[in-house]
Amino acid sequence: MQRRLTLLLVVGALVIIGLLPLVMMLGKSFFVDDTLTFAVYEKLFADARVQWEPMAHSLTLASLTAGFAMVLGVPLGLLLGKTDLPFRRALAVLLSVPLLIPPYILAVSWFNFLARDGLLARFIPARTAELMSGWLFGLPGCVWVLVGAFMPVVMILTMVYVHAVSPRLEESGRLITRWPGILRHITLPMIMPGILFGGMLVFLLALGEVGVPMFLRYPVYPVETLTQFSAFYDFGAAAAAATPMLGITLAVLALERFCLREKTYRLRPVTSGTRMLLVSLGRWGVPAFLAVSLLAAAVVALPLLALIVASLSPFAYSEAWSKAADSLGRSLIFAVFGASLLMLFGFFCGYLIHHRVLRFWRAVDTLTLLLFTLPGTVIGVGLIALWNRPVTGFVYASAAMVILAYLAQYTALTSRITLATLGNVPHSLEEAAQMTGAPWLARIFHVVVPAALPGVIAAWLIGFIFCLRDLGASMLVYPPGQDTLPVRIYTLMANGAPSLIAALCVIVVSVTLTSLAILGSLLRTALSHR
Amino acid sequence: MSAIELRDVLKTYDGRRVVDAISASVERSERVVLLGPSGCGKTTVLRLVAGLEVPDSGAISINGNDVSAGGRNLVEPERRHIGMVFQDLALWPHMTVFQHLEFALRYDKLTRPTDRPGRIMEVLEMVRLVDRAHAKPGELSGGQQQRVALARALVTNPAIVLMDEPLSSLDHELNLHLRGEILRLHATLGFTLVYVTHSREEAADIGTRVIAMQDGRVKDAGTPTIATTNARDT
Repeated sequence: MQRRLTLLLVVGALVIIGLLPLVMMLGKSFFVDDTLTFAVYEKLFADARVQWEPMAHSLTLASLTAGFAMVLGVPLGLLLGKTDLPFRRALAVLLSVPLLIPPYILAVSWFNFLARDGLLARFIPARTAELMSGWLFGLPGCVWVLVGAFMPVVMILTMVYVHAVSPRLEESGRLITRWPGILRHITLPMIMPGILFGGMLVFLLALGEVGVPMFLRYPVYPVETLTQFSAFYDFGAAAAAATPMLGITLAVLALERFCLREKTYRLRPVTSGTRMLLVSLGRWGVPAFLAVSLLAAAVVALPLLALIVASLSPFAYSEAWSKAADSLGRSLIFAVFGASLLMLFGFFCGYLIHHRVLRFWRAVDTLTLLLFTLPGTVIGVGLIALWNRPVTGFVYASAAMVILAYLAQYTALTSRITLATLGNVPHSLEEAAQMTGAPWLARIFHVVVPAALPGVIAAWLIGFIFCLRDLGASMLVYPPGQDTLPVRIYTLMANGAPSLIAALCVIVVSVTLTSLAILGSLLRTALSHR
Repeated sequence: MSAIELRDVLKTYDGRRVVDAISASVERSERVVLLGPSGCGKTTVLRLVAGLEVPDSGAISINGNDVSAGGRNLVEPERRHIGMVFQDLALWPHMTVFQHLEFALRYDKLTRPTDRPGRIMEVLEMVRLVDRAHAKPGELSGGQQQRVALARALVTNPAIVLMDEPLSSLDHELNLHLRGEILRLHATLGFTLVYVTHSREEAADIGTRVIAMQDGRVKDAGTPTIATTNARDT
């Protein structure tokens, strides 16, 4: 009873935080002065070409980003997760760094590297520098930056899924053929649903991206929502503009549910407690290591180096501190609150999905995934539609809106981490506690959470990092005078000095990586005490 | 009045009858062994009695009170006051031996908080683990872990104790030794024991009565001699 009630409360909260805003947003786009009308849509789509071109740009950008992310991410995931490549853990961490940094900071980094007066221009002819700079602004530059930002999603999922293939299946293959044949005919077909799931995630994340295309001046569709809201303050038009993005996300998720669903779930239970087989690279180990190191340097180290070099001016950091210290403080506080609630929400959602406690467990999983893959601007517009009314004005005018946005968008991350963690915690631990007479919440907090502690800490950490880097939703919902650091940086980008912007970006990256290091060591401590 | 009674209990998984209309009863202080090959439904019967599974139909009663009937649990597992030793022992990795027992006693309404430490030490003495009270499961040998699981099941002084192949992962010598320990504890405390195993030898040693199962049904039931004559060992 306690279990069902608690989980029903969590689901109810999730519906209010995530689903209701979307419903209200759709409702508002169809009602003008309490009358059902398509006028907003008719007005918005009067010139189809104006809408179609950014949409075509968005779809092209998302498709190319997903395609390249898979072409790069799968081999990297196999090399780092399935072979004895030297320093593979360090390389995996390094290549995952871009995922932790807001994509627009990566765009600023690449700008500082490739721009006409960037770091690279010091070493190459002016004409070539001009060419590179021209290449950065537009589709190729956007694809390049977003592939760097989202490729780790495919890489990490590939690493996770190869770990989930039963070694016995590969061992039986080894009696027949060599490793390349096993990878091609056994391992890859088995993890293909996971790879396609990763590709789908990258497609949707790139589709909803606002910061990078705006900075690199490539007109995409999600910017339309933002423009309608922040430039014209036409809420109906903003809601109508957000609707096609919601439709595309729903369609892609429906396709994923239809084609991949049961297959991605089936991989998990095979593996608990089994040891993965590693492919020996032999004489190919050193060349492969050099190739991956070079790639890591090109994708991660170079742009960050350019960012640091650009920030090295006498007053950049002091100016950055004076202009953004308050935002940094707020960002950290919001992220701590957001991550803690995300951890709690994600844990209960993950538990509900893992144990299939309620009949509609699958709908909960789908809702969290839908909210995660929706553009932040759509979430933001939805939250405004729900909370911007006299009765709830006290919520709308407070920082709670930012926390609600975090919860709506990122619960999928913490619930999926919990799901993976609970797969490794024997259910008998909870049953044993049940037999002692402990009520459900006592079993959860005294037995299940401590047994799943590394996953719980990891969920908090990932939640913290994603809250800290959030731009899309928080840009729309932050209360007056309470902007977060990413929003402040984005506002300053319009007229701030490049060195100031670079210094602010370095601060964001440093805070993120320092938090990661501190909490990573906490995680190691938690693991070492088992 | 039987300690445990099952009446036409049916349990299916994906349409397969794992427990097929079983009726059986266990008397107070009796040691009943459920014997049979893997997949015959003996663990499911144990979990049904514990309340960890809900029967599709039929009824289960404990001390004359229905605890499961009409396809639902009338009494939740945590309120049945049953001790259980799991096959994988289910020891909580983050707790010490003492904390395992303390946690179990925390929800036992019959033990006052002030009496808990004394009761814990009493049970630890019974299972000969006093010197390992502050060790975590990872620091214990296989036999010691087994005794922690046993102590946790017994600390609340339950009238019924269920054991699901608790000795299956141990070597023969330790297995024999712990069988003796279980019999000694039963003789001291007088609880009703339902013990699941696939080993004929273990069944004959532990049980005062053996129920042999096959394909979800009772194949035979009687004195421990049936374990060595009729039941098929796997």
